[in-house]
Amino acid sequence: MIVKVTVTWGKEVFKNVEVDTAQPPVTFKTQLFSLTGVPPDRQKIMGVKGGLLKDDADWTKLGLKAGQKLMLMGSAEQVPVAPTTAVTFVEDLPEDEQDVEGYSKYGAGIKNAGNTCYMNSSLQCLFRVPELRNALQQYTPAGEVPIMQDGSHKLTVAARNLFAELDRSAAPVLPLAFLTQLRLSFPQFAEMSNTGLYKQQDAEECWTQILYSLRERLQHGQADSPVQKLFGVGLHTRLVCGETGEEIVEDNTSYALKCNISIDINLLHQGIALALKDDREKTSAVLNQLTRFEGTSVITHLPVYLTVQMMRFYYKVDVRQKAKILRKVAFPLLLDCYEFSSPELKKQLDGPRDALLAIEERRAIAKRAGGAAAADKASADKEPAAKSNGNSAAHDTPMPDAEPAAAAAPAAEAGPSASHTGHATGRYDLVAVLTHKGRSADSGHYVAWVKEEDGQWINFDDENIIPVKEADVLALAGGGDWHMANLLLYKQQVVPEEQE
Amino acid sequence: MVQDSKTVGADKDKQADVKKLKPGAKKRKGEEDKDADLSEEDLELKRNLELLIERIKDSNEGVQKNALQALSQEIRSATTSMTSVPKPLKFLMKHYESMKTSYDAMPKSPNKQQFADIISILAISSGKKGERESLKFRLEGSEEPLSSWGNEYVRNLAGEIAGEFQDRRENEASAADLLELVGQIVPYHMSHNAETEAVDLLLEVEELGWLEQYVDADNYRRTCLYLTSTSAYLPEPDDKTVLHTAFSIYIKVKAWPDAVVTALRLQDSERVEQAVAECGKDLDKDGVLEKQQLAYLLAQQGFPVDFREGKAAIPTRGDEDSEREELRDTLTEIGGNMRASSHYLSLARDLDVMEPKLPEEVYKAHLVEGRAPAGPAVDSARANLAATFVNAFVNAGFGTDKLVTPEPSAPSSDVVHWIFKNKDHGKAAATASLGMITLWDVQGGLPLLDKYLYSKDPQVMAGCLLGIGILCCGVQDEHDPAFALLYESIMKEDTTVRVGAILGLGLAYAGRQREEVGEVLAPLVTDESLPMEVVAHAALALGLVFVGTCHQNSVEAILQCLMMRSEADLYQPWGKFLCLGLGLLHLGKQMAIEATHEVVRTLDPNMAAYCGVVLETCAYAGTGDVLKIQQMLATAGEHIDVDDATPWKSHFQSPAVIGMALIAMSEDLGTSMAHRALEHLLRYGDPPVRRAVPLAVALLNVSNPDMTALDTLSRLSHDADSEVAQCAVLALGIVGAGTNNARLAGMLRGLSSYYYKEPTLLLLVRLAQGLVHLGKGLLTLAPARADGTLVSGVALAGILVVLHASLDMKALLAGKHSTLLYALTPAMRPRMLLTLDGEGQLLPVPVRVGQAVDVVAQAGRPKTITGFQTHTTPVLLNVGERAELATNKYIPLSAMLEGVVILKPNPEYVDLGE
Repeated sequence: MIVKVTVTWGKEVFKNVEVDTAQPPVTFKTQLFSLTGVPPDRQKIMGVKGGLLKDDADWTKLGLKAGQKLMLMGSAEQVPVAPTTAVTFVEDLPEDEQDVEGYSKYGAGIKNAGNTCYMNSSLQCLFRVPELRNALQQYTPAGEVPIMQDGSHKLTVAARNLFAELDRSAAPVLPLAFLTQLRLSFPQFAEMSNTGLYKQQDAEECWTQILYSLRERLQHGQADSPVQKLFGVGLHTRLVCGETGEEIVEDNTSYALKCNISIDINLLHQGIALALKDDREKTSAVLNQLTRFEGTSVITHLPVYLTVQMMRFYYKVDVRQKAKILRKVAFPLLLDCYEFSSPELKKQLDGPRDALLAIEERRAIAKRAGGAAAADKASADKEPAAKSNGNSAAHDTPMPDAEPAAAAAPAAEAGPSASHTGHATGRYDLVAVLTHKGRSADSGHYVAWVKEEDGQWINFDDENIIPVKEADVLALAGGGDWHMANLLLYKQQVVPEEQE
Repeated sequence: MVQDSKTVGADKDKQADVKKLKPGAKKRKGEEDKDADLSEEDLELKRNLELLIERIKDSNEGVQKNALQALSQEIRSATTSMTSVPKPLKFLMKHYESMKTSYDAMPKSPNKQQFADIISILAISSGKKGERESLKFRLEGSEEPLSSWGNEYVRNLAGEIAGEFQDRRENEASAADLLELVGQIVPYHMSHNAETEAVDLLLEVEELGWLEQYVDADNYRRTCLYLTSTSAYLPEPDDKTVLHTAFSIYIKVKAWPDAVVTALRLQDSERVEQAVAECGKDLDKDGVLEKQQLAYLLAQQGFPVDFREGKAAIPTRGDEDSEREELRDTLTEIGGNMRASSHYLSLARDLDVMEPKLPEEVYKAHLVEGRAPAGPAVDSARANLAATFVNAFVNAGFGTDKLVTPEPSAPSSDVVHWIFKNKDHGKAAATASLGMITLWDVQGGLPLLDKYLYSKDPQVMAGCLLGIGILCCGVQDEHDPAFALLYESIMKEDTTVRVGAILGLGLAYAGRQREEVGEVLAPLVTDESLPMEVVAHAALALGLVFVGTCHQNSVEAILQCLMMRSEADLYQPWGKFLCLGLGLLHLGKQMAIEATHEVVRTLDPNMAAYCGVVLETCAYAGTGDVLKIQQMLATAGEHIDVDDATPWKSHFQSPAVIGMALIAMSEDLGTSMAHRALEHLLRYGDPPVRRAVPLAVALLNVSNPDMTALDTLSRLSHDADSEVAQCAVLALGIVGAGTNNARLAGMLRGLSSYYYKEPTLLLLVRLAQGLVHLGKGLLTLAPARADGTLVSGVALAGILVVLHASLDMKALLAGKHSTLLYALTPAMRPRMLLTLDGEGQLLPVPVRVGQAVDVVAQAGRPKTITGFQTHTTPVLLNVGERAELATNKYIPLSAMLEGVVILKPNPEYVDLGE
């Protein structure tokens, strides 16, 4: 007998489908296959007695009526399969790698092992320098380590391991190996108070010593250590004796620009300018006695990372104590070192600076012209900027330091800004601040404030990672009892690659 | 109740006297001084009255008669105001006693009867309280029509009758004379806008049945409103009697939707069918529309009515049967809620919220203070599980989303489908979320779920089965796909798959009372070889399917299981679900639980205590029974010594707290009282009590983010006891469900940063965020509909499952059984008012939406809403809001403007514009 039924399949309806009740249901399913393309074994037919239509069912017993509505469910689509590589979940990881807050991309906190915040904060600032991290990662001592350098070798290895752990771990790290080695290498940090506890130390001193050890060891057989390339500031000092007119010229490499703080210093660059004029007592060849020389320094070479030390601590002779200057000295997020540069360096910088200005101007105009599409443009603008930053980071390590500037000089005359891409401009962005809270260098609390690659400022307070805003960082200028900047780490701005 | 107006009137009168004193004049005491104050007119009236009284005492009947007539004339003609006693009554006050004496002395005569009438009226101001002299003299009087003495007299008389009736019943004396008087008073009240007093009187003398004959199209609304609201304050079985009366009245005046709502409130399927059958009996054009309107109402309520067979069926008639068959099809389609999806989507289109939303758009992490918008670098199973649920809740019913419905472009591509970005039960939750996203759209949803039926992963398979159940929840497709697809999997080996299928069946047929489903599930409950997980889910599913029916087989199965299973099996979270299943079966059944309760008492003491509390609280759900609330409060107030060996000793206190809210909900006074009681429990309760408090608060305010509730919960969400905090966070979600409440959303964002280090709490915060944006704010979980009078058992059951599951948060919702959260599906419904024309097409009309005003027993024609705004339908309604048509062009077929309402053109409408 032939019965005509209506079959709905999803939102489709097939009317007057003929069912031959003499045939097994499979025949009906084949019919539907030709209508819908759903293979018979994937067909589920509903609307008959007993729920699903089974392949061995007997039509006559199902009491099919003419015009009965049946429902077909099924598709020819592929059956979903689980991905071959299982997805790893945070919950599957060992507990110390579980990154609940999502901050592990910023590294990890470092636990305080008893008055070690000076070291923790220094390390967090240095950890912010990816070039240094890379250099450390590649550190394998070539050949025999000279006995003299054994200490710094071990410290470098400890630093390498610690940085690797900070990278990997999501939980706070206890830096025991590094701390032990630091105290072995530099016994001043092992100083104990009369209660048998380790004393608080000056973070700046710790910073300098760590960098000193690293500079020694991270040479890769080259003449220049990466540390020198990254942090070394070339200074040209002219010392003039007022009495005799004698002139002494010195060229040396410093690892930090100093910022002297006196009563009339309110801004960072005033302090730097003051520090660059340093008068010294020197033995005059003419007078053959110690005499006063007026010194003026200019920068001959700018590093990738410029460290500025706020000279807040000084030794107060009358009370025989290290004291702290609480004066507020505002520091900028963007520091221009052009005015401190030597004329030669200025010349090198001119071209890239013009190029950078031109690019910025074009972008500003494009942005204004963008009108409605302004938002899109802005995000697009950010991207190449971020990209070029990444590029520069990649470029900087292999590039000999003097080269970009040297190459820039002739290019500057040629004019086309494209050739300046990736060259230093003498402008610096603030990337890390090491602050101190308290009244003397050997007491109080040190923490690090770091601007991450994604632009987020993070306050590393020992094991705590606290996201903060730019305004919070600018509030570290001093002038109260709150944290104030002790060391500032700036990163150079290079001419970005311009995309049309 | 009938107000005793005497005292009020007398007080007011004194005030009036005081006012009469001239400023500066000292108040003097004594009769004569007072007389001096009277105006000449009053003085004359007084003298006249005194003279009349003297004359009544006269022996001459003619003189008596004249005097009596004159006196009653004086009394009647006295203009009364609401604030003072009429002057004649006042002047006669001091003669009251002497009049009574002279009355007693008078021989029986028509004059005496007339005199009795006068004393009866005087008694309302001069009689002593409690002596019922007015009534006494009335009965001895001349049976003059009541109306001749005015409203105040009748009211007073009614009050005395009520008291007298009580006394007589206690003494088992006949009250025939009183009832005769009642027979006069009720029509008087009913025709003088005093319906409430008529109802009160009839309630007192237990003759509510008389009411029906006096009700007409003008006064039925006020009468029935009073009747139905009284129900909450009456003891069993009076509460049912008033509803029965209201139902008969509604049927009499052909207010079909109201009749159906009343019948649904009674959980009386026979009366529902009666109303459906009688509505639009002759099947003319209006009749068909009225029937359709009822079908929409029943569909929203999830109450199954068969339009093909049985009492409510459309009777066959040879000549025009094809037309009738079509009507049957239409009604079945509407009644099966098959149009829910298309109506919901047209609402969404109208409000322009079709665009799918991502969980991130709900979290709005960029608005979080302090914490960086950082997500973990690696996929977090918990975060993804939260995202799965948030995505499901937010896009519920829209049919599209951005996580689970999109397919990876190529099967070989590296993009992992969202389902597989979840772990273990997360995969089940993710697959099932497909059902939630395509909610109610059986035809659209099944093709999406189909392929997962063939998955080899038991979790995906389980999720797919559950998803089918969710998809079909609240809709009744004629092809019955849910049963066809699910029932075989119930016998599968794998526990996970089984549980998915069982819960799916429970949700798909929630409230449908399908025997086939019961036959499949009941044997699982009694099978002692099955793991408790399966058994508990089966019990729960039975509770959902047969909610509030006392379904015999299911009750027996669960009881048997409770008796046979070992302590080790019962004393775990699953044991509680057996009790809850049993409770749901008796939801709202009040006294009918007695037999079950007897059996429960024989169980192991701890289980008996737990099960007994669950059973009782469910049985009195929404009744507002004060005694039960007190009983639960006492239970929760006990301080029980618990040691590690007997943790279950105090477990029964938690459902007692939830039970308080359950009983008190849906009635304003009870709700605010329960809030205060909960505040006390928080302060003095033991841990199991405190943990349940946020859940109770949630139950009292489902989808109603009331400020006080938010404050309480916000405080508790920071509680030192993390279990209290967990419950409070989820409770915040339930309280705000589907409201898009900005304040609450901000609160939850704050919590998300506060708890960023606590994975369980963070998950719950996310879930709550998802709930707040349920259906992008178009859905609600509120179980009370139709002005809060009608509580949907299915919705309540769904919410109860989640609340009870929250008592073991760690093991269930935040553990491996997050899928239990989908039990909220039966409670989900669009919080809309959608208006249709006769053809079933959307008909946008202006409506006023505002805060509902309680107009029960209010005089005159008070406004039913306040602070309203005018919108064009379709429009969203919050809990506690009411809508009214802002045009006379159409007449709604349902007095309750909620859900889907059919409008018909008003024949008397004149367009003034033309």
